Amino acid sequence: MKRFIFAAGIAALCLGLFCSFPTMNDQVQAASTEKMTVLNPMGTPPAIQAKQMAPRLDTLDGKTIYFVNTGYIGTDRLMEVMSDWFKANYPKTNIVMARGSMTNIPPAVMAEIGEKADAAIVGLGH
Amino acid sequence: MRVQYIQGPVWAKTGEQLRKSVVFGINPLTGKKVAEEIVDKLTRPLAPEDTRTGQIKREMGPPTYTGTAAELQQLYLEKRYTDFMPIILPTEELVNEMLKSTSHDPDEPLGRMFPGSGAGETWTYTVKVAAINAVMAGAKPEYFPVILALGSTGSTAINVSDNGFAAAAVINGDIRDEIGLNYDVGAVGPYAHANVAIGRAWNLLSINGGNCGKVGTTYMGTVGNAQNALATIIAENEEKSPFQPLSVRKGFQKGENIVTLFSGWGILSAKNWKVNEWTTVMDYPMMAKAIHEGQTPGLFGTVLVLSPPIANFIADDGYDTVEKFTEYVTGASAKPEPKGKFGGFNMGPGFQVIVTGASNNNYWMAGGLREGQSIAIDNWR
Amino acid sequence: MEVSFNYGMPGLRIQYFLGPVWAKTNEQLKKQIVEGNNPINGKPVMKELVESLTKPLTAEEKKMGELKRDMGPATYTGTADELQQLFLEKRYTDFMPVILPTEEKVAEMLKATSHDPDEQLGRMNPGSEAGETWTYTVKTAAINAVMAGAKPEYFPVILALGSTGSTAINVSDNGFAAAAVINGDIRDEIGLNYEEGAVGPYAHANTAIGRAWNLLSINGGNCGKVGTTYMGTVGNAQNALATIMAENEEMSPFQPLSVRRGFQKGENIVTLFSGWGVLSAANWKVNAWGPDMNYPQIAKDIYAQQSPGLFGTVLILSPPIADFIADDGYDTVEKFTEFVTGGSAGGGFGGFGGPGKKPAGKPAGEPAGKPAGKPAGKPAAKFGGFGMGGNFHVIVTGASNNNYWMAGGLMPGRSVNIDEWR
Repeated sequence: MKRFIFAAGIAALCLGLFCSFPTMNDQVQAASTEKMTVLNPMGTPPAIQAKQMAPRLDTLDGKTIYFVNTGYIGTDRLMEVMSDWFKANYPKTNIVMARGSMTNIPPAVMAEIGEKADAAIVGLGH
Repeated sequence: MRVQYIQGPVWAKTGEQLRKSVVFGINPLTGKKVAEEIVDKLTRPLAPEDTRTGQIKREMGPPTYTGTAAELQQLYLEKRYTDFMPIILPTEELVNEMLKSTSHDPDEPLGRMFPGSGAGETWTYTVKVAAINAVMAGAKPEYFPVILALGSTGSTAINVSDNGFAAAAVINGDIRDEIGLNYDVGAVGPYAHANVAIGRAWNLLSINGGNCGKVGTTYMGTVGNAQNALATIIAENEEKSPFQPLSVRKGFQKGENIVTLFSGWGILSAKNWKVNEWTTVMDYPMMAKAIHEGQTPGLFGTVLVLSPPIANFIADDGYDTVEKFTEYVTGASAKPEPKGKFGGFNMGPGFQVIVTGASNNNYWMAGGLREGQSIAIDNWR
Repeated sequence: MEVSFNYGMPGLRIQYFLGPVWAKTNEQLKKQIVEGNNPINGKPVMKELVESLTKPLTAEEKKMGELKRDMGPATYTGTADELQQLFLEKRYTDFMPVILPTEEKVAEMLKATSHDPDEQLGRMNPGSEAGETWTYTVKTAAINAVMAGAKPEYFPVILALGSTGSTAINVSDNGFAAAAVINGDIRDEIGLNYEEGAVGPYAHANTAIGRAWNLLSINGGNCGKVGTTYMGTVGNAQNALATIMAENEEMSPFQPLSVRRGFQKGENIVTLFSGWGVLSAANWKVNAWGPDMNYPQIAKDIYAQQSPGLFGTVLILSPPIADFIADDGYDTVEKFTEFVTGGSAGGGFGGFGGPGKKPAGKPAGEPAGKPAGKPAGKPAAKFGGFGMGGNFHVIVTGASNNNYWMAGGLMPGRSVNIDEWR
């Protein structure tokens, strides 16, 4: 694969200082059309099995929703404000506050949610 | 020219240290005694080549190179036409494609550049040289007016200084979206093609057009600067900022495409500073002030790069213009510098604010960068 | 979304709202979030939230079994220009041109190690326990090393870095920089620069190794993808290249970093660093230039201004500065550390509060005057979880042409033997 290339440094200096040869000549060549084969650089992701999603609720009335605060700063306040909104708009819905960490929800809390909650809202991000 | 090398630096040494390590020391290159070498240089007659006068020829190589892609990558690396990273090889075809995105003549002189700090030669370069270097950086033709605007300033992205300066540029105006500059997640960093390729083109133009960044001659950074890997190209997040864009504060119209140069030490996450301790209530104006007061007031002063949430906290605290915020932050430190400072470098207590980045967290950066010229990009279309 | 996909729940219902939440009052939270709209689709947040809880699952959401993803073919064929463009579009690069990784060049790279190309080299995730953990082989590392323009003799260093599984591009929204320090005879063997411009893109070996680590993180570890595996709110300019530093062991008055970490002098060791990055020490006012400079005290004063948790303080000293410090009686890094930290930098991973003792000397300046509009005496609850103690670390590199040095926040991680990857 032969190509013609301009020498950037040369052209620069040539104009600035001596300029004894043309800055760019007419020796134009089309870009190479020669094909080459190269390797995919990616690593391997883990295989993923889709999990069964929980069925949705037909109504929020009489249901228990867990709010899981994962501990990022300000989440407690947001969940308090959201809880107030539910109390005002869905007074028959029972809101329970629970605590997780930024990297996981402790098994005991997960078990409690599995046992007592009809749905859970987990705070993520910031 | 006879030059006597000594074991440096001289600065901050006592008379005794200087006597021992310099005057009665040895030349670190030759291992001979400094005092004896000085006497020899003063008294030894000139050699025939020392008496020659007239123009000094230098080997600049041919205007084109031909070879396989692998050979040419290697050649460009060896000839130090690159920043040690692979390039797109600048064929005439690609260079012509780049040149189509400006109305300026390829042979028009674009700029004059030297390595900064009054050191070294001043080289000149044309629009075409900028196009060659833009191709090498992998720039798309639509970025080229920005690269030309940067090149037209003659400011190097790689300053010779032994204290290792970083270069940055802030872009305002509609061109940000037109060419896909990133001012969201990762705005200050290599996270979009336009920001990366423009920064790299400026580096390469500095190396090849301005002969900068050559270690030992036009680059002397004692330790270096990690931010030289790419000149940092920052587009302001004008849409999410509560403040006027930087360009408007500098007298341009909103929407006008303007690039403003910055030079200095660089920037770090503001979390590097103790005063930015994370608590449930954050007094960002106070933290900015405390960081500013710890910054060297001369030279590059203080720059803050604020994400939109931080800028909004500051505006909500009553500092709804950069001017008000600046007055609050610098108020205590704007007094004149005490006399007897070292050298003629003091440029006053600089303080500048850039708003960019995403709104996904309350993060911001601080450091030392001082603004330079602002250039209209559209003059280079 | 990618995280829920990775956990097998591509249909997990996620409610977006305009963040961040932190540091807002209840009133701000109510107005901006609970009564606000989803910034992506403009719909009211709470109405959508209720819908997410009550709208029946779609057929798509009910699907089970293995989730397929398209990893592309093993090879690509095209002209050089087409392939550069393709690699750019597929985000196989860091937005810079690469050497195209042909089988021939990759085979050449692989000759520089005795390890099998198919050997699993590492497991990597984007850091902070976010995202998936990908695996990659010695051959994946070779492909990415070729792309970075590395010479085969650099490959053992690149493998050593890859073997740690540490990403050069952390997902964190606070924008971490990655660095590595190399000690031992390999510095000269492969031409690492530890003279002028030692911290920067001023030699092929430093540059190509740093870039290979970045590319391996992008492709091998799926890191650095904006919006999924990269979330830097503002970013970090030092991500352009992972910073590869070789210590100037010959000119340093101190033991090399590797020796201080228990290795023999001359052994080829790479030590990882992660943090905010570094700036010239001239950035700090306490380093004001004068005819006499008390560098140990200046270092102590900078340390006092640094965030004590997270990444602590790193100093990168040129040999003249290290010599000044040694001449002042701190002739080991341990003595110097003791002076600077007041004995608090045990490297412990204790509470968030940072160093137990406040260093003497100039305190970090609290600004005079209260900002307008801020009530005094607001509660200042500590925000826990990240404290890593008052770390303090010293690296010596660079030239002797001036009294310059750098400071910042970088914390060391693992040290790895490079020769095991030959």
